[in-house]
Amino acid sequence: METIPQTEAQPNPTPPERLAYSIQEAADMLGVNYFSVYRLIQRGKLKPCRALRGKLLVPRTELLKLLATE
Amino acid sequence: MNNPFEHRRPTELEDKAHAEAVRHFAEHLKQFPASREAVERLERDADKIALAANRAATKPTPKENVIQADDGKQWHKSVDLMEDIHFCHRPISYGAEYAVVEHFPAHGTNEILNRGWNAGEVLKAFTQGLRQTLQVWTEDMTAQVKEFLSEKFPGQDLSRIADAFIHKCTTQAVSKKHELTHDHEQNHSRGIRI
Repeated sequence: METIPQTEAQPNPTPPERLAYSIQEAADMLGVNYFSVYRLIQRGKLKPCRALRGKLLVPRTELLKLLATE
Repeated sequence: MNNPFEHRRPTELEDKAHAEAVRHFAEHLKQFPASREAVERLERDADKIALAANRAATKPTPKENVIQADDGKQWHKSVDLMEDIHFCHRPISYGAEYAVVEHFPAHGTNEILNRGWNAGEVLKAFTQGLRQTLQVWTEDMTAQVKEFLSEKFPGQDLSRIADAFIHKCTTQAVSKKHELTHDHEQNHSRGIRI
């Protein structure tokens, strides 16, 4: 009987990079509290976008821009 | 916002949905009241802070309280407003200029948030900004809670729950445990230096 050659186990593909994060996620990534993230938004340092139901999302590009300039 | 359950008791489903929302947004429930109270404290003490800053502007400042801000000028720290946020003055030939300056420890930079010739007005502009921040937070929290409830309980009208949650979050006092921590921080960061 012929044996079926085993295929090598494929490593898990890297999940696609997120485009935007919730306020909680942004706060965790920056290591600050929620108020600090909302203050950055209120002062125009972070420009959020709105999801369909109106909640704020922080684009990844905005976080990177903030970290590059601050 | 009034408590939407003042006139009619919640149904079993509403009770369940409220409990789920409270569990899911526990961190908001902890952080929002603490931030709100910090803002209220600043508003309540505004006159005292402005007076302390005015007095500080007439006296020499210890060298360690002089900082350079992002405008390239030297500012004298007079009152600590919040963690890493200071009320400062800068002597000029005919009096003093005042500013709220935020320190970014990671980069060692000091950014001017508000500035002007009147200590009270500068402080007022700062606290108004904080109020607007709380408003942005409230609106976002409302949207998040509504999204959470509509995904968790599709097809159900749970608008009373969303309203009740926001009411709870925006009106409840800081929990005792959190208050103690906050007071402890205050002892370290909020002494009025004159």
